[in-house]
Amino acid sequence: MAKTLFQVEILTPEGKVFDDQVEMISTRTSVGSIGVLANHTPMLAMLDACELRLHKGDGDVLRFAQAEGYLQVGGNKAMLLIEEAVAADDLDAADLEVRLSTRRTELESLEDGSEAANVAARDIKRLEAFLSVASAD
Amino acid sequence: MASQRDVKQRVESVRNIQKITSAMEMVAAARLRRAELRIAALRPYAGALRRMTRQAAEAAGNVPNFPILDERKEVKTVGILLVTGDRGLAGAFNSQIIRAGLRSATEHEEAGRKVRWYATGRRGVSSLTFRGKELSGAFSGFTDRPAYGDARTVAERLMADFIDGKVDEVQIFYNGYVSALAQVVRAETLLPLQRATVLEEGEAEEVEAEGQESRALVEYEPDPEIILQRLIPDYVEISIFRALLESTASEHGARMTAMRNASENAADVIEELTLAMNRARQAEITQEIMEVVAGSEALV
Repeated sequence: MAKTLFQVEILTPEGKVFDDQVEMISTRTSVGSIGVLANHTPMLAMLDACELRLHKGDGDVLRFAQAEGYLQVGGNKAMLLIEEAVAADDLDAADLEVRLSTRRTELESLEDGSEAANVAARDIKRLEAFLSVASAD
Repeated sequence: MASQRDVKQRVESVRNIQKITSAMEMVAAARLRRAELRIAALRPYAGALRRMTRQAAEAAGNVPNFPILDERKEVKTVGILLVTGDRGLAGAFNSQIIRAGLRSATEHEEAGRKVRWYATGRRGVSSLTFRGKELSGAFSGFTDRPAYGDARTVAERLMADFIDGKVDEVQIFYNGYVSALAQVVRAETLLPLQRATVLEEGEAEEVEAEGQESRALVEYEPDPEIILQRLIPDYVEISIFRALLESTASEHGARMTAMRNASENAADVIEELTLAMNRARQAEITQEIMEVVAGSEALV
């Protein structure tokens, strides 16, 4: 069954990554997983680092690794503002693993509860999310 | 007087330098164009983020107190972030930033405030280290093509130091991009973030932004207050990212100008040397003729 399509725009600080019609967005907000279809209620949500899937219809799915960002839905349009969005095929798993392990060692030397430690923990979470997208191929 | 061969060799070497400088000029011009595009690419993101922040702030009623908005009563330590390039050969590009930073540091120290140094770009890092300044944050290796992640790294370090109380204020010095020919040193206060920067600006664009949609109907996930908590630090990241991008564009612009001047100067030097060489050759010929004439006269 063909579903209704709606416009989705993905913006990153590096420019526009995607601007086209899709059937469904599936991603994760800080509250939980979410799927957005056409004619969704206006919404503003905070996105976590995770795998972002854009269902284009006929089983065609675009996969991205998504860093933290925001999702705004309104007027049957969705806009995703994401700090970093990388197509799954462009990820370099080996590089991610190196960065992840350096951050992990750094975190151990940081004082618990300091802002620096929170930052490192956040980086680790993001890198883990990216890595899981990269290795899902 | 230099012999003909010496001059010829110098002309040759200057000509080689000219080839290099004009190649560097062309490379800088190509990179400048790319850097300009990246500045343009950031604009829609920054605009959308601002609209979103305003929407969330309105829903939340007001902007609550976040640590990075916290204005310190007494500024004891000032953080200075110098944005420089990884490479030289770009005219005054790096030195004017370092000079501006040092000047402001002297002022702070005279007023009894301590200075904590941060720098991006190898030039700034090495120059500060050479002057015996201890760097609290050195970031380099990306100034040719800064990624958002690089800006985030810098921003997170600065915000962490600010929140943990290691600095009470952070200033950034960078080369603002005006055009390929003009770059100006800009000094801005990064932290504490001004409440006004977050909420003012562009009242007009708000109308086209969300249309007539009633804000009451918007679902927030999670609460707008919590969303704001993350949106606001993003401002600092974006400010730094913009500064890095502008600095990169300025660096290429400055290098382009410097290399064009170098190429033109090389052309002048070549011309002068060629003239000197021809003069030397002519002098030698004249000398020889004189000798021949003198010899033949002696025979008569």
